[in-house]
Amino acid sequence: MIAGSRAGAPASQPNAPVAGGVRRGLVVPDAPAVWSLSAFTGRLGEISGGYTSAALTLAFRLVLEAQRQGEPVAWIAKRGSAFYPPDVARMAVDLDALVVVWVTETLVAARAADQLVRSGGFGLVVLDLGERARVLPPVQTRLAGLAKKHRTAVLCLTEKDREHPSVGSLVSIRAEAVRTHQEEDHFLCEARVLKDKRRGPGWKHREVCHGPDGLR
Amino acid sequence: MDRMACVDLPAFPLQLLIRSHAEWRDRPVAVVDADKPQGKILWVNERARSFRILPGMRYAAALSLAGGLHAAEVSKKEIDKAVSTLSRRLRSLTPHVEPAEEDPGVFWLDASGLERLYGSLSNWAGLVRSELTRCGFHGTVVAGFTRFGTYALARSKRGVIVLRNAADERAAARRVPLDRLALDPDTRDTLAKLGIKSVGKFMDLPPEGIERRFGYEAHRLHRLASGVLRLPLQPERPSPPAMQRLILDHPETDVGRLMTAVERLIKPLLETMAASGHSLSRIHVGFRFERLGDHLEAIRPAAPTLDAAQLLELIRLRLEALRRLPDGVVEVILAGESVTATREQLRIFADKPRRDPAATHRALARLRAELGDEAVVRAQLREGHLPEAGFAWEKVDEVPVPKPRDVDVNALVRRLYTRPLPLPSRPRHEPDGWMLRDLKQGPVVRVLGPYVVSGGWWNKSVHRDYHYAETQKGELLWVFYDRARRRWFLQGRVE
Repeated sequence: MIAGSRAGAPASQPNAPVAGGVRRGLVVPDAPAVWSLSAFTGRLGEISGGYTSAALTLAFRLVLEAQRQGEPVAWIAKRGSAFYPPDVARMAVDLDALVVVWVTETLVAARAADQLVRSGGFGLVVLDLGERARVLPPVQTRLAGLAKKHRTAVLCLTEKDREHPSVGSLVSIRAEAVRTHQEEDHFLCEARVLKDKRRGPGWKHREVCHGPDGLR
Repeated sequence: MDRMACVDLPAFPLQLLIRSHAEWRDRPVAVVDADKPQGKILWVNERARSFRILPGMRYAAALSLAGGLHAAEVSKKEIDKAVSTLSRRLRSLTPHVEPAEEDPGVFWLDASGLERLYGSLSNWAGLVRSELTRCGFHGTVVAGFTRFGTYALARSKRGVIVLRNAADERAAARRVPLDRLALDPDTRDTLAKLGIKSVGKFMDLPPEGIERRFGYEAHRLHRLASGVLRLPLQPERPSPPAMQRLILDHPETDVGRLMTAVERLIKPLLETMAASGHSLSRIHVGFRFERLGDHLEAIRPAAPTLDAAQLLELIRLRLEALRRLPDGVVEVILAGESVTATREQLRIFADKPRRDPAATHRALARLRAELGDEAVVRAQLREGHLPEAGFAWEKVDEVPVPKPRDVDVNALVRRLYTRPLPLPSRPRHEPDGWMLRDLKQGPVVRVLGPYVVSGGWWNKSVHRDYHYAETQKGELLWVFYDRARRRWFLQGRVE
């Protein structure tokens, strides 16, 4: 009943189509890259931005998407600086279900993230690290492995220009978030993917956002 | 520079109708809203027009003018299906395709960076048109720079047009007659009476009067045409096919152990489908043999389902006929064909949460033990005039299932500094401009405000003049002048 359909076929022929659309080798997705939670799920990612950063805004779009999928979300931030909750509430994010963990430094943030991701109880864990943040290689290895195992998106937010390296070599996807003013209270927020180990860099995402009251 | 192209398939429902009835091609054809005598004619071809049959006429009246008229309805479902098919075909030529929501038959394509791949934009645009012809449609392809410019030219021209620079596009768009655009007929007629029949003359009108006189839609068109409102491409997000694969450490010939591998894959496959609102109508189980190549089995449940147990039973039955496989299996692949799930199916699936709430709470308990109870919090909004009084952080014991609101507002988020940072005093003379923080940021180039927050006279009087200060480097800082302390502070920044 079951017999090999291609006897003597060579061992590897990347992406050669076989019966019913099942391909050999690495599955190259047909759909183009999309800025969504699925692009970060199971990976260690980074969103960075310089003076014209839109990192918080784009990160919260992912938080909203995670919440819409019923995924618990945790936000790890250093005391002294965090998102402004009324702006986040305006975006429709459920603040009651958004856990915020206060930490003192990057190493503590990474340990907290390790605990949260290891539990398997979160779909998205965001580390708001600020300037000059580096995550040690052993910590990166653990976070990347746990993210993959539990299908959690682990996202680092940093303040830096695109020329600066990412928080670590095990970051699987890194995007630069840039904000430009269009007209009145319309701002164009753009994510330029600088690194993507799955699809390759170079793809972008754009959306138009409204500024807070009084900002035009 | 970013490039954009617009594809216009004129009278799209009519083209769909003629495409599905090829024998009507040389006859008078019309699309009606209802196949009955009082049905209204929506679209007509040239042959029908020669009998003076026009859109807006009743079907019975049109039949009296041309007894050989062929007419039928074209449902929204058929139009949506055709748009979806065309989007998929166009995505083979460009990564991003945006079908127009309210104008079926219009598509915007991302044309950036394609010159190197296709030799030139003209080649690429020609291929797009050829692809449309292969699908049985005729239309116009315009490669340009802006959404409105390419759209206006696609609606008024024929064939393939590639614009060399933005100035050419603007000049050509200005010459487009207004009656080619989707403008309200009454507005169009009123403008025509005023002698405004082209896009250029429409753009020259002062914007303030347009909304008052002609309404929101005309004002929006004016802003699009004049470039004030520049909407980026909003491409479709097609769902990738649901597939799970597992590479085995050793070639496996035992059916029982292979079923274990299938069980590992089926739950994530169904979760992916449920997350996009689909259920599985057919599952393909693929085995890659070590020497014999690939083999695929297709199994169809009685009805589309998200029930893993049912699917595993069917797969088990299919494989149980064998005692042993002819060769070792090195890879197992599951791929699913999907249909839109019913609400009941999704509800049953959702009732089993993906994440274990107990695991979530255990993790938070460990963090509280390590960092302190005050370290694990959530934000609660409060009534308060000052930014820091508009919310409070409260301790978290349990995390509810998230229930975000359905309303989707794309809003910028500000970063708030817990304690406003004092800024240096402004000197009397600022030859290099107002340096808010340091030289790296550059001087402030724009200030918005003041937005005054004042009160608390019964307790501790507060008077703050809030501003947004934009620096030379583009940073948007949220600052305030505290009148009591006579000092500038940095409250946060827009990020």
